[in-house]
Amino acid sequence: MSGPVAERSPPLPRRPALALPTGRELVRRVAPPGIALGLVGAALWLSGEPGGSRLALSLTFGALFGVVLQRSRFCFYCQWRDFLVAGDPRGLLGILAALAAGLAGYAVVLGAWMPDPGGTRLPPDAHIGPVGPVLLLAGAVFGAGMAISGSCISAHLYRLGEGSPTAPFALVGTGLGFVLGFATWNPLYLVSVADAPVIWLPRHLGYAGYLGLALAVLAFLAWPLMKRLPDPVAPNLCRGSDPLRALFSGRWPVWLGGLAVGAIGTLAYLRVGPLGVTAEIGGRARQAAGAAGLLPARLEGLDTFRGCATAIREAVLTPNGLFVAGLVLASFVAALASGQFQPARPRSGHAIRGLLGGLLLGWGAMTGLGCSVGTLLSGIMAGALSGWVFGVAMFAGAGGTLWLGRRTGLLT
Amino acid sequence: MPRLSTSLLAILVGVSAPGAALAAQEPPTPQQTAGARTEAKASPLVSTEWLEKNLDAKGLRIVEVSVEPGVFERGHIPGAQNVVWHTDLVETVSRDIASREKFTALARRLGIDKDTTVVLYGDNNNWFAAWGAWVLAQYGLVDNVKLLDGGRKKWEAEKRPLDTRSAEVAASSFAAPAPSPAFRARFADVLAVAKRERDEQILDIRSPDEFSGKVIAPPGVQELAIRAGHIPGSVNVPWAKAVNPDGTLKSPAELKTLYAAAGIDGSKPIITSCRIGERSSHSWFVLSRVLGYPVRNYDGSWTEYGNAVGVPVVNLAGTVWGGK
Repeated sequence: MSGPVAERSPPLPRRPALALPTGRELVRRVAPPGIALGLVGAALWLSGEPGGSRLALSLTFGALFGVVLQRSRFCFYCQWRDFLVAGDPRGLLGILAALAAGLAGYAVVLGAWMPDPGGTRLPPDAHIGPVGPVLLLAGAVFGAGMAISGSCISAHLYRLGEGSPTAPFALVGTGLGFVLGFATWNPLYLVSVADAPVIWLPRHLGYAGYLGLALAVLAFLAWPLMKRLPDPVAPNLCRGSDPLRALFSGRWPVWLGGLAVGAIGTLAYLRVGPLGVTAEIGGRARQAAGAAGLLPARLEGLDTFRGCATAIREAVLTPNGLFVAGLVLASFVAALASGQFQPARPRSGHAIRGLLGGLLLGWGAMTGLGCSVGTLLSGIMAGALSGWVFGVAMFAGAGGTLWLGRRTGLLT
Repeated sequence: MPRLSTSLLAILVGVSAPGAALAAQEPPTPQQTAGARTEAKASPLVSTEWLEKNLDAKGLRIVEVSVEPGVFERGHIPGAQNVVWHTDLVETVSRDIASREKFTALARRLGIDKDTTVVLYGDNNNWFAAWGAWVLAQYGLVDNVKLLDGGRKKWEAEKRPLDTRSAEVAASSFAAPAPSPAFRARFADVLAVAKRERDEQILDIRSPDEFSGKVIAPPGVQELAIRAGHIPGSVNVPWAKAVNPDGTLKSPAELKTLYAAAGIDGSKPIITSCRIGERSSHSWFVLSRVLGYPVRNYDGSWTEYGNAVGVPVVNLAGTVWGGK
């Protein structure tokens, strides 16, 4: 059961007639509905607790996000690599689709919440961060971490549910990277971040202006990609007549996942908060580092910025913690149900690449106040210049590291 | 496999269902009854029931002042407008309540005039809503300003409707007078009481551990004073003791008993105080508006007094700042 996670649809499982299912087959049949029921039960229980509706919704959105990521292989690095190495633009188009859908959704929500974007106020808890050289550096380092560890943080989370041998190391590395980020935060803040402007584009362009410009940029990026689309083959969705089979075997096209990501991003912002997967990791890392005496006595200005806030957790259950838990569990359910749960015994290469890449991912996500989801997706959707800048630096960092790694034979 | 998938799909649909629960609810129809009108006129509090019946009443403005960002936007009482306590109601450079000009602009934007009934509410048991009432009072908006009894917590617990759209109200032509000193105690006032030069009472509403000097700030809050303890002559009744578990205020009789036990019965002028002057506005509201006692709020509070040089301090716990 080793080897890369299946990226093509496995052959449909044949049900042996009248034969007793094997132990593994039994697990595959019982576990997905069991865990899914558990998730539903947990969400219902939480929603009944006083003040628990936000927690219940976080768990729900996390679970939906996990299913979408797993089913559509919504992984920033994999899609970027597919394009750079194999020339396949479909994944990148999926990411652009997510941004386009989310941009439109956010415009609708923000227009209702803040009819006049022109004042001095920023929309509540939207991920709009400071733009400066430190953000570029954070994005590039995050990108390098993606290339070395094989994916970004959100993708490691859903791959944890697929049994990836690298993901656990990458996530541990991410936690350590956060601690490293806290250690370097104060000098970076005093030298640069404190003076970096926080730029919210709708304030200058209006909602319609920003939406129009952003969609035009996405179209401009999509245009050359569309020309490289492979010849149309029968897509997975059309295979067979059973829509459930289309949902639970093979992969969804990335554009479909992208549209779902845009929708979930909008709904999550409307009801709970912007999508992000590092607030909990960062907050817990900060708590642990603080307990171990590894934290600077004060992190200058950090808690005044928006983004994946790393405020120390006092409660056991937090919205972002439940979001991440829902993501991993639902991805596990989806992977199991579709036969894509393929755990592999980690080898030293997995551990080294995971830890090293994770360290860079964590440092970049801490310093950039979020990752490919919190800063890039949620930022761009909300109209933050920081989202675009982080995105450019991230893709450049990942592409550059991949190029270097392939030249030196260290990466494939 | 298909059967498995069916159950999974059903479950996923089920998981998304709670999100829809709050989505579509009819706005209530206005039924302004004589009784309801009396409730608003007589008391400084309005009930959630009254407010729901009077959402569309003329001359009523509903204003949310919450601590946590984003709660207003994700669902507020229909027709309510948002006020951000740390930018709208204060000066952001100097430490002071909003200037006359700034407050005038805010009140006009909210459509508040001298005779407008204003219902304030918020999260954390109306903590900052009460602080808002204290700021409004200084600009002459006193008797028409009410708190929603139970605040956001009770409104939500009773599953009353919420709205995410922003209200559009006609601006008023309010002109703020010079702020009245009748509701605000300054450092010199408090010092005079501490030195027994003036016969007034100081009510310190912080936690017992802050009051005794065991801690300088509540857990998780930055220590902004460099001395521990309290102002000499003050008594300690934590602010939350005035609140029932459901977020409503206790009855006037219960409140009278609560404060009388600490020697506060309205026979002498009272000064309320805490760490930064926000929690104490809650007690200010209770004592002055509900019980009708003569009360001023000391917004300098411990972060001013505990940092002042050469003033008398009572430090029961003997905590030494910066000491090991």
